[in-house]
Amino acid sequence: MFETLFGMVKEEWRIHSSLFGNFLFASFPLIILAFSFLLSFYTLNNIITLNKLLLIYHCIFILVGLSVGAFGILGREAMNRRFGHASLIAFSSRTLPLSEKFIFLNFFIKDLIYYFILWILPFVAGAYIAFTIKNVYVNFFVIIASIFMSFLASLSFSFFLSTIYIYSKKLVIAVIFSIILLSKYVFHYIEMLPSISFMLKPSLENLIYSLLISCLLSLTSVNLLKVDYAENKKRYKNMVISLEKFLRFSRYKDFIAKDFIDLNRSEGGLAKLIFSLILPTILIWFILSLNFIPFADFLIVFAIMLGAISSSTYNWITEFDVFSSYSFLPIKVSSIIKSKIATYSIINSLCFIILFIASIKAGLSNLIPSLMAFASVSSYVLAMNIYLTGLHPNILLYNSKILIQYLLLTSPILLILMFSSKSILFYFFVLAVLAIAYLIIKKSLEKWDKEEIVF
Amino acid sequence: MIDIVISANNLTKKFGNFIAVNNLSLEIKKGELFGLLGPNGSGKTTTIKMMTGQLKPTSGSVDVLGVDAIAQPIRVREIVGIIPEQESPPSFLTAEEYLHFVAKIRKLDNIEEKCDYWFDFLEFEDQRQILCKDLSRGTRQKLMFAQAFLHEPKLAFIDEPLINLDPIIQRKVKDYLLGYVKKGGTIFFSTHVLEIAEEICTQIAIIDKGKLLYQGRIKDLKKKRQTLENFFLKLVKE
Repeated sequence: MFETLFGMVKEEWRIHSSLFGNFLFASFPLIILAFSFLLSFYTLNNIITLNKLLLIYHCIFILVGLSVGAFGILGREAMNRRFGHASLIAFSSRTLPLSEKFIFLNFFIKDLIYYFILWILPFVAGAYIAFTIKNVYVNFFVIIASIFMSFLASLSFSFFLSTIYIYSKKLVIAVIFSIILLSKYVFHYIEMLPSISFMLKPSLENLIYSLLISCLLSLTSVNLLKVDYAENKKRYKNMVISLEKFLRFSRYKDFIAKDFIDLNRSEGGLAKLIFSLILPTILIWFILSLNFIPFADFLIVFAIMLGAISSSTYNWITEFDVFSSYSFLPIKVSSIIKSKIATYSIINSLCFIILFIASIKAGLSNLIPSLMAFASVSSYVLAMNIYLTGLHPNILLYNSKILIQYLLLTSPILLILMFSSKSILFYFFVLAVLAIAYLIIKKSLEKWDKEEIVF
Repeated sequence: MIDIVISANNLTKKFGNFIAVNNLSLEIKKGELFGLLGPNGSGKTTTIKMMTGQLKPTSGSVDVLGVDAIAQPIRVREIVGIIPEQESPPSFLTAEEYLHFVAKIRKLDNIEEKCDYWFDFLEFEDQRQILCKDLSRGTRQKLMFAQAFLHEPKLAFIDEPLINLDPIIQRKVKDYLLGYVKKGGTIFFSTHVLEIAEEICTQIAIIDKGKLLYQGRIKDLKKKRQTLENFFLKLVKE
């Protein structure tokens, strides 16, 4: 058991450190620590109370857990994407007497260790340092344990749902719609979540409840998990032709068609969007409804956050293939990036519908500025993502140097738009950000055409 | 007049301190079935990648069919066919969709007809609706072979082309390549399987550790009553 787990941990470290060097990868948690410190230091008591801030931190890690937890849907793809197709421990069930379930359990535990070390521990440490400097007493161990349990619970829940999805898509869609419909009540009682209860009133009972629920969901999921290997030679009709006709308005119709085929045929299909876009959107709505940014317009801030979250779509659509699939064809890197931008835009048009629905609840008067804010942020974050990572956001954002640049170049823009949301300058900023995004994308295309692809 | 289709001068590629290809110069004429031979890691794939504009040389120059591969890499890849070392068609397209996709990138006409020909010729018609990720390695290699010749290029670069194919298809492919050069096409072919090179190549070059050790005609070796294997081993061990 432990040999496999240690092997996987070492393997993941070496994969990342071989790409960026030990120092850059090892300094990734320091960036998280610094980010959390600054966030906590400037918001606590100036903008928000301690309890609300901690609740938001829980929500952030619930969000991370939901996204990471879609293992069941990703199945083998998750391992492929994270590790490539090299001969890795994750594939040992093919050659060694180890079951897929055993390997996947180790993979799950390894990811828990990794997310704890790379994200949770530095994030909580940064916040704790800020609290201490501000003379606000919190118990470090209670905070870190409760946030870890929130992460574990959401990860297990998402893992469970995504595993069930393989068996019954209808059931999972019904559950998700129920959550959406009941979200108001679900969030109203979020403090009853054992991990958050544990933070508010540390007790052995809450600790046990929280761990028990997570373990039960995770173990059931591991037990039900389907890892699909190539023996399943399903036949498909040629969809490229029909999709090309439908997408004839774009000069990248072949590539967009390919992206949609990838999205549809990969394990979990379009449900990935539910886990990476819809569920996080609901959570953001809840976080914002805590009303901790009184100086900003609710719907516009929601649109800005949605724009930032929706940029994760770019990570999805760049994960299905590698440039080596194209490098021997007469096609430039910039053309592939342009086609990904087109796919990204089509998928993200879904967010306009989300914003329209949100505006019915929050007030139609701000629909237009919120749509503008969304378009501007979504384009800008995408532009930064492309400029810094090209076709490899999922690898390069783990490079601490690139992550710092990404955070420094995106966070201030989001803050400026939020702070100006009630001022007349907002429209100027929105248009300026859109123009900057356009220029950055243009520059990025030139940059990546000159770069040598090494992945 | 003898047409030179590939002209590489002092090609060098460094990855950090490691020299993958060292001052390599080659000239290949039209109608040759040229074999680049060398042990694993000798620089064969890097050489092909530089010649086809997939990698920029650290120094040196290379012209392919009269096009500067460093200045116009896309143009080179438009006019040649390439079978990469690792067959990597996109995972979630079927074999048929992949050929269709490549044909669209290459802006070809009569796509259906061309695809049908290759499915029939390489005998994998029954696999056309299977996802690329679910194909066997041999079938993926057939698919990559088909995509490289779909646009009927005058020059094709083939990196280890026969390794996963069964003997029947290997024979078919060898005959196809021999017929192709007879009709005036040129093949640049990289392999470490010496028997194949000895059987079909008209000219060979041997490289090791990025350096060119030998360039000459197969029939010259035969005249000297040398087997390619003995010659190769002697040269590389030295």
